[in-house]
Amino acid sequence: MAQANISAIDKRQGRPRKSFRAILRANSGFLFVAPAMLIFLVFGLYTVIYSGVLSFFRWNGYGDFSLIPFKCGPPSCQFVGLDNFTEFLFVNPTESHYFWQSIQNNIIIAVVVTIGTIVIALPLATALSRAMRFQGLLRTLIMLPTVTAGIAIYYVWSFIFQSDGLLNNILGTFGLGFLQAKQGWLSQSDRALPALMIVMIWGAVPFATILYMAGIQTINRELYESGILDGANALQLLWHITWPLLYPITVIITITSINNAFQGYEMVYLMTGGGPAGHTEVVGLQVFEYGFGSSQQLGLASAMSWLLFLVVFIIALINLRFFRAKD
Amino acid sequence: MSVTQLSGSNRVEKNGTAVFLKVKKHTPDAVSYILLIIYAIASVYPFLWMVSSAFKSNQEVLTSKSLIPNEIRFDIIVNTWNTLNFWQYFINSMIVTVAVVVLVVLVYSLAGYGFAKVPFWGRDFLFAGFLAVMLVPGVTVLIPLVQLLKALGLLSAHKDQIIAYTGLILPMVNGAGPFAIFLFRNYFSKLPDELRDAAKIDGASEFGIYMRIFLPLAGPAIATVSILNFVSAWNAFIWPSIVINNSDWFTLPLKLKDIDLQQVIQWNVRMAGSLIATIPLIIVFLILQRYYIRGITAGATKG
Repeated sequence: MAQANISAIDKRQGRPRKSFRAILRANSGFLFVAPAMLIFLVFGLYTVIYSGVLSFFRWNGYGDFSLIPFKCGPPSCQFVGLDNFTEFLFVNPTESHYFWQSIQNNIIIAVVVTIGTIVIALPLATALSRAMRFQGLLRTLIMLPTVTAGIAIYYVWSFIFQSDGLLNNILGTFGLGFLQAKQGWLSQSDRALPALMIVMIWGAVPFATILYMAGIQTINRELYESGILDGANALQLLWHITWPLLYPITVIITITSINNAFQGYEMVYLMTGGGPAGHTEVVGLQVFEYGFGSSQQLGLASAMSWLLFLVVFIIALINLRFFRAKD
Repeated sequence: MSVTQLSGSNRVEKNGTAVFLKVKKHTPDAVSYILLIIYAIASVYPFLWMVSSAFKSNQEVLTSKSLIPNEIRFDIIVNTWNTLNFWQYFINSMIVTVAVVVLVVLVYSLAGYGFAKVPFWGRDFLFAGFLAVMLVPGVTVLIPLVQLLKALGLLSAHKDQIIAYTGLILPMVNGAGPFAIFLFRNYFSKLPDELRDAAKIDGASEFGIYMRIFLPLAGPAIATVSILNFVSAWNAFIWPSIVINNSDWFTLPLKLKDIDLQQVIQWNVRMAGSLIATIPLIIVFLILQRYYIRGITAGATKG
C-alpha cells in the first residue's frame, strides 16, 4: 500500500511524457473547466469585445453590425473613430451636459451613500455583537431588506416618499418641517437624489453590518480590557480600538459601495427614471437609455459604458494594490 | 465587584469575556438595544407596510396611518392571485430561477473543482481571466448580448417559451460565473489533496473523484451559491424586461411592473403582488440564512 502511494506521487510529480495521450491526460483538468469556458467565450468574452469594437462605430440599431463575420452596413452603421467619446464628453452640448450631470450624481452617490452606510453600520454592528439576547432575531430583522423583492422595495419607498407620506409626516412630527418635500420627494428636483440615496443606504447597511460583525468577532477582548484600565469610555474604545482594527473592512465596504454607486442604475430607472429633469440621472442609466430608449445610439452607448468600465477598473486597481500591500 | 462574581452571575467562563462585561457597564446594554430596535423598525417597516397594505382596501391604504387594517381583507391577495393570473408568473419565475441556480451550481462547481484540484496547462491564467471579467459593468454587455441573442435566434416572441428562456437564462448563468467559481474554488482548495490521491489509487476516474467524493462534501458551498443566486435571479428585472417580449412569459417582477400600466394605481393590489413575489425569498432566506451570511462575508473578502 505504502509503495503504491509513493509510486502514485512519483507519477503525479514526474514530468509528463511528450506523447499526445500523455499531454491530454496531464491536462484533463481542462475538461472540468470546459463548460464554464464555453459559456464564458460566447456570453462573456465575445460580448465584451463586441462592445469595445462597437464603441468606434455609429449605429442606430437598424441593419447589421456583427463581428463574426464582420459586417457593418452603411448608411445605418459607419466607422467614426473616437467621435462617440468626444461627442458625449464635450462636443454635443446637450449630451455632454447630461453626461457630466450624471457623473456628478454618481460621485455624490458614491460619497454620501458610502459615508452614510459606514456611519450607521459600525455602531449597529457594535451593538449587535454585544446583544447577548435576541441577537439572531435582530440580525434577521436587519437582514430582511436584502431579500425583499426589488420591485416591492421601490413601490413601498415611493409611497413613503409621497407628499403626504411617512417621511414628510415624521419630519413634521419632530419639528423638521423645513426638510419636508411638499410636492413629494421623488418629484421635487432638490429632493429626488437624497430620497434615492436614503433607499440605497437602507439597502447597503445590512451587508456592511454583517461584515463589521464578522470583523468585531476577531478582535482580541484583551485590547478592550487594557483600554478600560486606562480609563477609556465606550466612544473612545470605538474610536481608538474598534475603528482602526476594522479599517480593512471599512476599505472593503467603501470599495463595494463606490463600485455600486457607479455601476448601479436599476433603482434609479424604476423610481425616478432619471428625473425630474435629469436631476437623478446616472451614467449607467444614460447608457441604458442610449441603448434601449426611443432614439438608439448604440455606438455612443458602448463608448459611454467603456468609460464607466474604466472608472470601475481604476477602482479595482486601487483595491488590488491595497490588498497586495496588506499581504 | 470581582471578576469571579461577574463570571458567576453571567455564566461566562473565560476571563477575557468577563472583563468585557465590564465594558458593557460603561455603556449599558440599554443603549445597544435602543439603537438596535430603532434600526430594526426602520429596517422592517417597509416590509410590514407591504404586508399590511396587502390586506387593506385601497382607500384605507391611502388614508390610514396604522399598520393594522380595520378589517382584514383576505380577498385582495386572493383576487390578485386569481384575476391577474399570478400562478402562471409564479411558475415562470420558478422555472427561470431554479434553472439558473441548478446550472450555476453544476457548471461552476465543476470549474471550481478543476481550478482547485486538477492541474492543467494555463490554469492560473484562465482563472485570472474569469475574475477579470467580473469587473465589466453589466450595462456594458447589455447591447452586445441582445445582438448576440438575435443572431442565435434566441430572441423572438414568436418562438416557444423554452427558446426564449434559454436566451434569458444563459447570460444570467454567465453573469453569476466568476463569483461562483471563486467560492467553489476556495472551498475545494481547503479540502485535503489526500482524498484525491487515495481515490486515484483505488482506481477512480477524475470525474468519479469529483462526483462521488468532492461534490458530496461541498454542501455548504452549494448552499451559499444557491441562495445568493436564488435571490438575484428571482429579483432580476432589467435583463428579463429586455429579453422577454411576450407578456405570457413574464416573470413576477415584470408582471408586478405591468400591473401599473394597465390601470389606475391600486396600492393594495401592488402590495399583494409584492408580497406574493417576496414570500419565496423569505422562506429560502430563513432556511439558508447561515449560508447567505457566509456568502456575503466571503464575497467581500475576495477583494
